[in-house]
Amino acid sequence: MPGVSLRALTRRYGDVAAVDDLSLDVKPGELVALLGPSGCGKTTTLRLVAGFLAPESGEIWVGERCLSAPGRVVPPEQRRMAMIFQSYALWPHLTVAQNVGYGLRFKPELNRAARDLRVAEMLRVVQLDGFAARYPGELSGGQQQRVAVARALVVEPEILLLDEPLSNLDANLREEMRFEIRRLHEKFAITTLYVTHDQAEAMVISDRIAVLEGGRVAQVGSADEVFLQPRTRFVAEFIGRTNLIEGVAMEPDRVAFGGLRLRVGAGGMTPGARVAVSIRPHDIAVGVPDDTRAPGANTLPGVIQRASFLGDSMDYQVRVADTDVVLRVATAATRRLRAGEPVTLSIDPAACIALAASKERG
Amino acid sequence: MAGAAPGWRASMDRALPVWAAVVLALVFLMALPLGWLVWMSVGGAAGATLAHYARVAQDPALLKALWNTVVLSFWVGLASIAVGAPLAWLTARTDLPAKGLIRSLVLASFVTPPFLGAFAWVMLAGPNAGLLNVLWRDVTGAADPLVNVFTMPGLVFVVTMYTFPYVYIMIANTLALIGSDLEEAAAILGAGRLAVARTVTLPMVAPALVSGFILAVLQALALFGSPAILALPAGFHTITTQIWALFQYPPKVELAAAVSMPLLLATALLLLVQKRLLGRRGYAAVGGKGGQRGAVPLGRWRWPALLGCLAVMAAAIFLPYGVLAKAALSRAWAQPLTWSNLTLANFSFTFFEYGATQAAIVNTLELGVMTATIGAVGVALLSYVANRRLVPGHQLVAFLALAPIVIPGVVLAVALFIAYTRPPFVLYGTLAILFVAYLTKEMPVGYAQSDATFRAIPPELEDAGRILGAGRLRILRDVTAPLARSGIIAAWCFIFIGVIRELSASIILFTPATKVMSVVIFDLKEEGQFGAIAVLGIVMLLLTFATVALVQRALGRDVLGARE
Repeated sequence: MPGVSLRALTRRYGDVAAVDDLSLDVKPGELVALLGPSGCGKTTTLRLVAGFLAPESGEIWVGERCLSAPGRVVPPEQRRMAMIFQSYALWPHLTVAQNVGYGLRFKPELNRAARDLRVAEMLRVVQLDGFAARYPGELSGGQQQRVAVARALVVEPEILLLDEPLSNLDANLREEMRFEIRRLHEKFAITTLYVTHDQAEAMVISDRIAVLEGGRVAQVGSADEVFLQPRTRFVAEFIGRTNLIEGVAMEPDRVAFGGLRLRVGAGGMTPGARVAVSIRPHDIAVGVPDDTRAPGANTLPGVIQRASFLGDSMDYQVRVADTDVVLRVATAATRRLRAGEPVTLSIDPAACIALAASKERG
Repeated sequence: MAGAAPGWRASMDRALPVWAAVVLALVFLMALPLGWLVWMSVGGAAGATLAHYARVAQDPALLKALWNTVVLSFWVGLASIAVGAPLAWLTARTDLPAKGLIRSLVLASFVTPPFLGAFAWVMLAGPNAGLLNVLWRDVTGAADPLVNVFTMPGLVFVVTMYTFPYVYIMIANTLALIGSDLEEAAAILGAGRLAVARTVTLPMVAPALVSGFILAVLQALALFGSPAILALPAGFHTITTQIWALFQYPPKVELAAAVSMPLLLATALLLLVQKRLLGRRGYAAVGGKGGQRGAVPLGRWRWPALLGCLAVMAAAIFLPYGVLAKAALSRAWAQPLTWSNLTLANFSFTFFEYGATQAAIVNTLELGVMTATIGAVGVALLSYVANRRLVPGHQLVAFLALAPIVIPGVVLAVALFIAYTRPPFVLYGTLAILFVAYLTKEMPVGYAQSDATFRAIPPELEDAGRILGAGRLRILRDVTAPLARSGIIAAWCFIFIGVIRELSASIILFTPATKVMSVVIFDLKEEGQFGAIAVLGIVMLLLTFATVALVQRALGRDVLGARE
């Protein structure tokens, strides 16, 4: 089982670099999600890996094989990969069994009977036994999706590519299929690249997440790492909701903003530098001024501007005293404060993440 | 795993030479004749000259023919709007009874060869023996005919009857795409029904209206048959009949080439205007769904409106078809259809006694099948190449394939005549030159159909097969071809219909050994054999309708457009 290595890939459309000097290593058997907003280059990256596009510079290696380099691209049919498309791309004129069995036609070592057997087995794995003779048009969206999954897995590819495979499903089914795809990945352990713009999907499905911005990898890491330790402002804002406070570093672990000071967990800032601090809404505790507080926590005085009851939680907008800064705070709904109440916010310095500004494009 | 990277070079598609050849052939078919045409129009003994153009500009007869064409086209354009637009609105937007029937009849008018209609109208409204005039004289006792089809207004009328479907198609398809929600949005803001029509519907339909006008004008510009049948006896020429006349002995090819240029340029210009119009503001894209649409109630105008539609159809279909049938079955077409006048002699005369017919039918079918088959495969490859961007300059492929649309049949014939009567390619006098003419002329229609077909097949369906191990050609066979099949059959049928009715290029390119049906019909006119004309016309109509039925089956909808 080989891994995939993308080395300094660049691909332009006209003057725009859709993929810009992108590097990424996927370990054997690992599932990496390419996560980013539309236009970040994730689908282009996937099509480069599949061999539908040629890179202008950089290389793609699978194990010991260099599959793509400028001017030398192994065609898709010789890459031993499989791909699941956003539209599923099922062939409407072929039955479910013919769709699933299509890739096996190109394995000369399998005779007809062996192919039929493999198809039947795979249909059982995706719980579609009994649908073999149907046409795709006669299936529901979720079933079509399973056919697409079966068609890709049955050929036992070295690399599996998925391009937003769940985006056409309704919300409930999508959640169910996340677990299903994860289950299949654990069963087959195929090295997988998974393109999505849905951070929850990426977090459930993948071993690691590569957050893409402007055709580059902004950060790679486990769901924990990219959520808890975002490295750039873009990553912090894209993964989950967050508050960003702009300020100036006074000491390696201290940021000043609007006359207030904030202790920042990791430290290591250059005094005098402009920084942004990310604080997740649920990392902020709200208390009335005379509550007791955890020792060592940052405390900020403020006033509740808006309080929204969300059933299982409260969502506050709190203006920090003597500043224009308004922080979103999420707390349990057990204690409900009202708009206009003066409060004290307390924040663990470890939850305050100092961020580098995103890299300038171009 | 090292070294197991097969075919770096195989990744240069093996299919590439195929694409390259098709594109080259296209350049060759188009560029050579048109190059010769331009060259001939400025060619002189001592190099390039404008002498031929100067002669055109100084020849009052040629200028008159040009002017007649302008008059004819303009009035046909206007009249087509006057007929086609109300018909389109009535069938698309109102509770008119028998809408399906009207639509079918418009389709029938659309596929009727215009020169057959012209013949029929000679029998209906000729000043002396025309049936309508005979009837008029019988009823009123008047000495003068009611109508005379051998006049400019007569010509405009007859041409319009087979040209208004172009306007109809443009308007009906546009109306079908404008959801009535857009009109309702205006209504809810307080606009009355007239205000809605004036401020919303009309502006949205306006580009289609103008574009339908342009299409109708283009048809009239390029038409040869109807003016030849109606204008020549009346003693005037249009540009197309004039070009044809210049080819009569002794041929004045240079002059014909020079007269062709204004026709070519006018066509190109009008198409450019039309493209601009449709391209702007994205009207055509109006709403994907088209929305729910309530039919406008006509109230007490319902039946009068239907009567009006049927009156148009009587002029376009019922009367002409009727008189053709009558002529085919009677000894003397102008006499009443009594038992003694009834005969099948016209059929035996046409098929067995008249020398040219059998060969012409065989030639027509042979050319039809050959052109349609090679054409359909060709346009399929071309549109595939263009849609999947397989070669650099794929935009040029689409442009070239659609380019012949600017070449009127007569002009194309002049160009081909010049190009292929001399080495290195002497095709004149063979069926091959007709084949080249038909292929070039019908390419745009076939290409448009084929392009729509491939647009409807998402590239992912092919990508999905590639990544599973199938090469491009294999995918073409396993996935693309089966999915494109019905679209390609439709393209075949469109080309076939175009070929079997083709007259304007054939009339210049035929030789006694290579006559086709339309040319024989034209010859029969010279001999006054109306019975035989009717028989051949009916054969042509039957072939056409059978092919149309095949298209409708293949596409699962009628050929007039995107509805249903």
